[in-house]
Amino acid sequence: MSRAFFNEMYEANGSCRPHYQEFARWLANTPLALLEQRRHEADLLFHRAGITFTLYGDQQDTERLIPFDIIPRSIRASEWRIVERGCIQRVQALNLFLQDIYHEQRILKAGIIPPEQVLANEGYQVAMQGLNLHRGLYAHIAGVDLVRDSDGTYYVLEDNLRTPSGVSYMLEDRKMMMRLFPELFAAQRIAPIDHYPNLLLDTLKSASPLDNPTAVVLTPGRFNSAYFEHAFLAREMGIELVEGADLFVRNDHLYMRTTAGPQQVDVIYRRLDDEYLDPLSFNPDSMLGVPGLISVYRAGNVVLANAVGTGVADDKSIYPYVDDMIRFYLSEEPILKNVPTWQCRKPQDLSHVLAHLPELVVKETQGSGGYGMLVGPAATAAQIEDFRARIKARPHAYIAQPTLCLSTCPTFVESGIAPRHIDLRPFVLSGSETRLVPGGLTRVALQEGSLVVNSSQGGGTKDTWVVED
Amino acid sequence: MKLSIRHDTTYSYASDVCNSIQFLRLTPRSSERQRILDWQLDLPCKVNSQIDPYGNILHVLTLEKPHGHLALTASGQVEIDPDCEHEAGSQSPLPFLRSSHLTQASDALKAFATQQCGERRDRAALTALMQGLADHMPYSPGATSVGTTAIESFAGGAGVCQDHTHAFLACARSLGIPARYVSGYLCTEDETHLASHAWAEAWIDEAWYSFDVTNRLTRPERHLKLAVGLDYLDACPVRGVRRGGGVESMQASVQVHRQ
Repeated sequence: MSRAFFNEMYEANGSCRPHYQEFARWLANTPLALLEQRRHEADLLFHRAGITFTLYGDQQDTERLIPFDIIPRSIRASEWRIVERGCIQRVQALNLFLQDIYHEQRILKAGIIPPEQVLANEGYQVAMQGLNLHRGLYAHIAGVDLVRDSDGTYYVLEDNLRTPSGVSYMLEDRKMMMRLFPELFAAQRIAPIDHYPNLLLDTLKSASPLDNPTAVVLTPGRFNSAYFEHAFLAREMGIELVEGADLFVRNDHLYMRTTAGPQQVDVIYRRLDDEYLDPLSFNPDSMLGVPGLISVYRAGNVVLANAVGTGVADDKSIYPYVDDMIRFYLSEEPILKNVPTWQCRKPQDLSHVLAHLPELVVKETQGSGGYGMLVGPAATAAQIEDFRARIKARPHAYIAQPTLCLSTCPTFVESGIAPRHIDLRPFVLSGSETRLVPGGLTRVALQEGSLVVNSSQGGGTKDTWVVED
Repeated sequence: MKLSIRHDTTYSYASDVCNSIQFLRLTPRSSERQRILDWQLDLPCKVNSQIDPYGNILHVLTLEKPHGHLALTASGQVEIDPDCEHEAGSQSPLPFLRSSHLTQASDALKAFATQQCGERRDRAALTALMQGLADHMPYSPGATSVGTTAIESFAGGAGVCQDHTHAFLACARSLGIPARYVSGYLCTEDETHLASHAWAEAWIDEAWYSFDVTNRLTRPERHLKLAVGLDYLDACPVRGVRRGGGVESMQASVQVHRQ
């Protein structure tokens, strides 16, 4: 690609950006051998803590450590405040959209989004029609994926409104950095993030109309790729980690089995997809859910966070309309930019996409996690032809976007310190107010030139700093 | 037509069931074409009713004590208007364009739908589709099971009312016509017998029209509707999960009297 990449640490002329100067000074005075030693320590500590994830899509599922990079990603506080406002605006609009499409459907009646695209969407859940949720909130926890193009402009890549993961890495990466390099945190003001579990618990509790509701974390179990995170968050919040078999339905209420007898459960932070929540309402083969859960939910006697049916709003075929949602529901202009998107279901867009495949990123509308995605500039001719055939067979299942240049950040790799592409996932919590801790999870594509940051595709993570200017 | 109905279902288990939970959709709702004069469920314990996502009346029965059998009785009086051919819808029909595991269309089903209907999307076209499916999949008890998908039963060229309905839904939705699964009762022509039955409804001309593939009927004059949904799983009269119990046997009897 001919366009230059935006480097988070250095200006185009090679000088260090102001918010990185303290770190640059430290780095210049730290021998590489010490960095090497610290990295090794970090690996050992993470390994001992059992912070691993499972790879899907391989022949066999393999547990692996997510590589942690010791060079932080830093954001200027003044810049962060804009990103923060943009994320809040976006998630508020998305929650209003969800409330609307499961009730009056004003945005469909106004002709802003074709009704069929929403109502016939796989992510649209009839079970939510007419159901009133406390505070009208659906996506209590959202992970908004942001990247920066060559001029440094932030773009939203996707809104993860189902069960976004990665926040445990955000928290653990910070703990690790403070442990390895305490001097860095003494030398400058880096905004704290360790109150995230408190905010999360507060968000979960405020999702219930009860005064002091009992909340639990529902996990699919230890074979899930994010099981570590489920256990971590339950422990940090001081609430129970349960599996479907620990819960049961009685008289329109939900209970958990405890040594002291059944205890009523009022809020479930569920890390289980809609499809598996209740074998009597969704996939009958699911062994992971709770039979009858949806009947309790519809009776208003338990809160699910996130709500059922949020997937329709983060579907990639709905993504192109988020700017319109912000204007429609909030009467505001979007603060954060959407990536221009071609919808292959539209014949004109389709022919453009097919004619420009080597330049574009193609994604499945239902996909996530970087599986089933084509990065044109990095793909082989055979991969491109394979996608061409797939798109032609099911055009409505694909969208395409220009290949963004993705900013880079210095990263400590085998060959020394070199720039690698990164993204940012802030976690937006919606309860009595919409808020987020400063920063988020920074993911880094460790392979030189790679633009895919997903941990499942060889990505690593970095601590993310918001630094006062 | 006024009918008095009694439907007994008894499940017997090889050993005691530790606990069980059932979703019961055994209570019909009144509509333009059916008026429920009186209806009750006799269950092992008292159960509140709620309205399910598709607007059906749902009872959630939970049993926590060991039990070797389970008896359910639904009975009541209804009046059916045999001249009413369609029903209005209060909600958008568009969610019924979605496919589900049981109603997914294969290329063969899509081709069949197009072959039967051509460019037409009206009641006559869907009637042709209904006839075509009835020819292609003769009624054959035992040829399929409750988990059989539309793709499988269509490929096998045989099925029961559930399979016929799923195949019809797969075809109609592939043509862009919203269509839904209906479970209910069908009265014999002499109105002495009633059987649990399933058929389809499709959204044409701003209303739901019935298509009973098994009986090649487009007028639901002998049909009492219990529940609707995307497929069998959403609308079936009894859907449950139990712990323990081993092999299950089910006995059902339905009695009907014309008044």
